[in-house]
Amino acid sequence: MRLLIVEDNEELAGLLAKGLKTAGYECDVLSTVEDARAVLSTTFYAALILDLGLPDGDGLELLREIRLRDNPIPVLVLTARGGLHDRVHGLRSGADDYLVKPFALEELIARLEAQLRRPGQLLGSSLRIANLAFDTQNRQASIDDQPQVLSARETAVLELLMRSKGRVVSKKQVEDHIFGHSGEVASNAIEVYVHRLRKQLSERGARVQVHTIRGVGYLIAEEK
Amino acid sequence: MLRFKSIISRIVFLHVVAVAITSILMSLALSWLLSYETENIHHKAMQEQAASVGEHLSLTSDGRLELNLPLDLLGLYSQAYGRYSYAVIDDRGAVLFSSREDHAALFPGDSRSAPVEFLQQRRGNATVSGASVKKTIGDKTVWIQTGEDLANRDVLIDDIVANFYKKVGWITLPILLVLLMTDIAIFRRALRPLREASEIAEGIGPARPGVRLPTEEIPREVRPLVSAVNQGLDRLEEGFRIQRDFTADAAHELRTPLSVLRSRIDLLDDQDMRQALRQNVDGMAHIIGQLLDIAELDAVVVHSDDKADLQSVATEVAEFVAPLALAQGKDIALSGATEPVWVKGNPEMLGRAIRNLAENAINHTAAGSTVEFVVEGDGTVSVLDRGPGIGEDERQLIFRRFWRRDRRKQGSTGLGLSIVQRIAELHSAVITVENRKPNGARFSLKFVPLKS
Repeated sequence: MRLLIVEDNEELAGLLAKGLKTAGYECDVLSTVEDARAVLSTTFYAALILDLGLPDGDGLELLREIRLRDNPIPVLVLTARGGLHDRVHGLRSGADDYLVKPFALEELIARLEAQLRRPGQLLGSSLRIANLAFDTQNRQASIDDQPQVLSARETAVLELLMRSKGRVVSKKQVEDHIFGHSGEVASNAIEVYVHRLRKQLSERGARVQVHTIRGVGYLIAEEK
Repeated sequence: MLRFKSIISRIVFLHVVAVAITSILMSLALSWLLSYETENIHHKAMQEQAASVGEHLSLTSDGRLELNLPLDLLGLYSQAYGRYSYAVIDDRGAVLFSSREDHAALFPGDSRSAPVEFLQQRRGNATVSGASVKKTIGDKTVWIQTGEDLANRDVLIDDIVANFYKKVGWITLPILLVLLMTDIAIFRRALRPLREASEIAEGIGPARPGVRLPTEEIPREVRPLVSAVNQGLDRLEEGFRIQRDFTADAAHELRTPLSVLRSRIDLLDDQDMRQALRQNVDGMAHIIGQLLDIAELDAVVVHSDDKADLQSVATEVAEFVAPLALAQGKDIALSGATEPVWVKGNPEMLGRAIRNLAENAINHTAAGSTVEFVVEGDGTVSVLDRGPGIGEDERQLIFRRFWRRDRRKQGSTGLGLSIVQRIAELHSAVITVENRKPNGARFSLKFVPLKS
């Protein structure tokens, strides 16, 4: 899978390319808006990693152009600004996600994969935490490579949690995912499903923990 | 010393004083003119009377003077009427004729006097005022004196003089008041551009640094002040811009090399080394991030119409810090309002303040305990921990930049709470610090609620 990195700091670009290569991605590196514009119009990439402060212009401009041309390429924005006013700005211009420098390489890869696993994107197969795996293709959970049978609702909750690995999934997101935007949801329905899922996972020896963040949502993490 | 806050009140006061002085002076001048004119008429009448008395003087054949007054004149000078009197005296001062009972002269005779003289003589409690006119008949020279008893003076003229203020003088006052009103109106009109400029000036702040006061309509006398204010604003805006540019440049110059360093470390093979270096870099990145926040907050812009949903901001922060807390074996919980709580403020900054409170709480809360977020409908957000609490003597110190209770402790910069305080300041929010029972601290931020 080929990615495009647009970053004017050659050292950083090289390190990112190297890191991504170990994770299985081939990367092309460019350092100006102009080059990126030219290459993007002729070449297909699975995702774009875009620095905002480029020598010949603002990365946000390029992003706007890409979106104006209805190019659905997932874009992960890198920014050194991260100031009190900068955050919403990048996302509103069409970025799918952003990272403030300095960031961990693992975080970059995780965010990238989250983008690539979205419907219609290229990465679709397996999500994994400790000995628990979830295949998004056939919606199959497995523990220690043994396929597990879970109810449809439990599977849906697990899929959502696995897709948002390391991040909190709000109760509202779970509700929307399971019941859609319409329909009445009993106030404790989600808690009931999460409780059942948690019980199933621990009974079957998964070394993961489904945390409840009271009033906020749920998070799945490796058991400590 | 009287001090006036406004130009209008100063003008009104000075105008009232001027009106008072003018109306007094004007009344005095008018009444003086009136009595002068009355006096003139009186003198003229007396002189005419003397002339008409003189017409009836004639020389007899034996060379004596004779006075034959017609009836109407006799009536005028009768004792019964008592108002007018006459006397004729010769050049030796002897009284030839007199309407007076005592046959006396009205005024002392003086042969050197001018042909026409106006005299006044007090006699008992009556004052006689009149004229003395020289006349030559044949070879004889006489002085015909006519007088009017002022006590019996014509009532009409007296009334005019006496009632001048009541009847005529008052008219000056309304005229002057109308003038005053006109002046005030003119002044208010003239000051209108200044008032408009003030309204514009009210809207000037860090959020709208580009606004300048209009100079076209401003009166020339005040224009230098307005221009000077505009120039001052130019310099302030430039200062803000420089500070902002500096912060943005500094962020870029510091974060990019850190990012290179961090990526280089992430690619190391030695796992222990990698772990240790990551911690160092992350700690450094944290301090740099906070320093940049502080620099940015010194020149920050909070728009007056910024609004934030405190409930969703707090939820976002809770979601953000939850993985960090869980990694340290600590829990996060959010309670209170479930509906949006709108407050005045910039959501990003509010989030930064709450995040700093939360990170502080996570650092201090005991392992296995919960850091709680509480959002209330009145615009208050609180972060509660189960740490050691804040001593009475530390309540002021904790908000100081770089203050730390334990300088040996890793992961704390002593900047977090000073960022919280600065953001609170910018949003007119109130910070409260309390200790919880049996242990722990509660930090609350009360923002300005908006009616939704």
